[in-house]
Amino acid sequence: MITEPIHLALFEEDQINEAAEAISILRSQGVPDRNISVISGVPLSEHILGRPMSWSRVGLIGLAGAVAGFLAALAITYLPVLIYPLNVGRMPVFPIPTTLVVVFELTMLGLLISTLLGVFVETITPSYGPHGYDPRIAHGKIGILFTCPPEVDCESYDQLVALGAELTHNLQERKLWP
Amino acid sequence: MAQVTEQPRKWGMVIDLDLCTGCNACVTACAMENNIHYTGEDEVAYGRGLYWMRIQRYWHGEYPNVGPEFTPMLCQQCGEAPCEPVCPTYASVHSNEEQINLQVYNRCIGTRYCANNCPYHARVFNFFDYEIPAPMNAYLNPDVTVRSRGVMEKCTFCVHRLVHARIDADTQGDPSLENEVTTACAQACPTNAIMFGDLTDENSPIRTLFERSERGFQIMEELGTFPSITYLKGGGVYGGRD
Amino acid sequence: MAAETSYLTGARADLEQSELAEEHLMLDPRPREEMNQMVMEAMTTTTPVYWAWVGGLALIVAVCLFGVWGYMTATGIGITGIRRPVFWGVFIVTFVFWIGISHAGTFVSAILRVFKAEFRRPFTRAAELMTTFGLAGGAMYPLIHLGRVWTFYYMVPYPNARWLWPNMRSPLVWDFLAITTYLLSSTIYLYLPLIPDLAMARDRTTGLRHRIYRLLALGWRGTEAEWHRLRKAINIFAFAIIPVMFSVHTIVSWDFAVGVVAGWHSTIFGPYFIIGAILSGVAAVVTILFVLRSAMRNFKYFIRPEHFDALGKLLLVFSMAWAYFFFNEYLLSWYGGEEAVQRILTLHATGPSAWVWYLMLICNVAIPWLTLWNRRIRRNPLAMFFITLAINVGMYAERYTIIPLTLGHQRMPFDWGIYNPSIFEISIAIGTMAMFCLLYLLASRAIPLIPVWEVQEGQMAHSLKKVGKAHVPSVTELE
Repeated sequence: MITEPIHLALFEEDQINEAAEAISILRSQGVPDRNISVISGVPLSEHILGRPMSWSRVGLIGLAGAVAGFLAALAITYLPVLIYPLNVGRMPVFPIPTTLVVVFELTMLGLLISTLLGVFVETITPSYGPHGYDPRIAHGKIGILFTCPPEVDCESYDQLVALGAELTHNLQERKLWP
Repeated sequence: MAQVTEQPRKWGMVIDLDLCTGCNACVTACAMENNIHYTGEDEVAYGRGLYWMRIQRYWHGEYPNVGPEFTPMLCQQCGEAPCEPVCPTYASVHSNEEQINLQVYNRCIGTRYCANNCPYHARVFNFFDYEIPAPMNAYLNPDVTVRSRGVMEKCTFCVHRLVHARIDADTQGDPSLENEVTTACAQACPTNAIMFGDLTDENSPIRTLFERSERGFQIMEELGTFPSITYLKGGGVYGGRD
Repeated sequence: MAAETSYLTGARADLEQSELAEEHLMLDPRPREEMNQMVMEAMTTTTPVYWAWVGGLALIVAVCLFGVWGYMTATGIGITGIRRPVFWGVFIVTFVFWIGISHAGTFVSAILRVFKAEFRRPFTRAAELMTTFGLAGGAMYPLIHLGRVWTFYYMVPYPNARWLWPNMRSPLVWDFLAITTYLLSSTIYLYLPLIPDLAMARDRTTGLRHRIYRLLALGWRGTEAEWHRLRKAINIFAFAIIPVMFSVHTIVSWDFAVGVVAGWHSTIFGPYFIIGAILSGVAAVVTILFVLRSAMRNFKYFIRPEHFDALGKLLLVFSMAWAYFFFNEYLLSWYGGEEAVQRILTLHATGPSAWVWYLMLICNVAIPWLTLWNRRIRRNPLAMFFITLAINVGMYAERYTIIPLTLGHQRMPFDWGIYNPSIFEISIAIGTMAMFCLLYLLASRAIPLIPVWEVQEGQMAHSLKKVGKAHVPSVTELE
């Protein structure tokens, strides 16, 4: 539980440079990157703001799902025919071309559904960084959430205001889901 | 399915077109034997008659020398049947015992893909529940399922007779009982144009005719379906049709 | 834009800029708050006319689709026009038609995204909705045309006491798997880019709407991690759903091509059907865009003649590709194919239903080739509406030519037959059409139809760059 107060610096949607400046100011003041969280209404790449890249395991989860789909396809094509063989004309019992079709479809299904599940699980599980939200983010504003550790003296507030930020202190942590 | 006979049979048919008169006795016998519904005049006119065996009649020649040609057309019980791989529910499968194509009514969900894929148009579909009012239901053959609407059906080489014969041969220990079995259409044909028998039996006359007759041909052979029916035609001319 | 401005003064530069702004959505940025407001207003406004349409369409769906389907289930397939030898008719034609239309969304939101075509940004969601609802309509048909629909679950693979598993070698089972995969994937692909817009809607609504959006938005805040994850997932989907899209319509074409039916057993059916589907789908996107632009508030800001222009160019290309594949198949069959196939070609062109064949050629080839060259026609939404309606009529005629006409004219002349579609089949087809429109109408008021975050992202990436003496639009890559 974060007991420190969460501060929010809101920039307008075209103030990307100022937002990047503000982050470097905070960093120079001693606020570590893990205590800063950027929320925005459009995707802003981490390179743009000078932030460390965030990680996501969605790709790996998707890959795992694809493998699961592949195995499921092989299972469903071969196992029932092994147990209950039925002879249909002009086709061997284990035909490879038809198996390829089924394998492709179920592999893609596994990939895509597991990607969704990965996004879902990663989104609803707790995340690092300051939690906080302002509905104005959806209107394109760029928000920088940060907490000041007690050993750091946050003199930077007026510097941020000078850049054009709108500061909110002691942001209430709202539960957004469910 | 346990195998009670020593070896699987391969049932086949030889139809002699030079003997066929187009009398439709085979059609009638088939309808009686297999509980085929009567769909009514309007339905038949639109092409929905349930004919497991039909007589294809073509006219040849110019007036006044016009003559008909009759071809009894039924399910060819293909060795490599195009109707079998396309059924999604395995309602159309190949029998290992009799080497014919089986139609399993219980599994049929009525996609009608098999009917599209049959080059001989041998399959028919139950479009409605057809009524058989009493006392007509007294003629129904108890050995054959009465089909409901929504399922495909086709000639089965009277498989109920084949199974009966096989069981009789096994229980009474007399294999020759199985050789005497015949289909309804072969039984009814007045000119013996339709001959039915076991193609694995070297002694059966049908095998000779099937494989080596000079007049023998198979319909749409080029499609590679390996039908179990050979037609004979030629009036003595080698190679078949005149 | 004629390059007449040889010397730009300040005033003329401004004029050119405002012309550009009016022409290109990406060069006409508005504050995000205003765009959100526009989209929310379009979503939450309902007029009596809207409800009249909803009621009418619901009535048509209830009677023409479900009512007739119920009657058919109780009575039998015999109420249709199906007969021997034409065992597949209007149901399968309409099925292939809907699956074709469903390729619209994937083409726009996946292929155009992969190729970074910026003009796709405002209408990806509208197109994806078309995919989902087209598939919903199309996926009903494998059930509708079954002889015994109450036993449809025989096709579902699960352990059961009948020892019954579906035949994996049958194209119909591949159909079932492919359409399920495509439907689920499309719905998910619709949902993922929708999450940020649902978060926006969550913050601007109250009551039941708010609760539903809140649940679906998964607590979206817009953090870097969330955007990164979403971007990654959307990229995976964009690249993965393209082969799925190709495979779905290829598998539908294999329903026909793997058979020994003369005229169907052609290796070109796969690509032929895909190109036809994309043509049909993109045409349907244009039709829907015209309707949306006319009927929904504020949409004239988002959907502009430039979009119709771009889609029109694509339509012309695909119409030519379709004609190429069609001629490929025609020439090879005509030149030295099986006699049965040559007779089928003659039937198509000169038989009692030859008007269908000519309708197909006029609508798919003649109309696009004669009109879509012209930039003024392409930029006219009303003209594009009629042209694309004609294209879809032509594509329906194409499927009708391929399915019932070919089945009725196979290798044994004694068994040739003419198929007469019955009023019940046509009614069900109209019912699915109404269902598509109804679902679309309901969805237009349930979710925001414009992906505003993507539009803003695009607007951020576009700018005017001075190259020499001219100002040209330029796109930067922000990813």
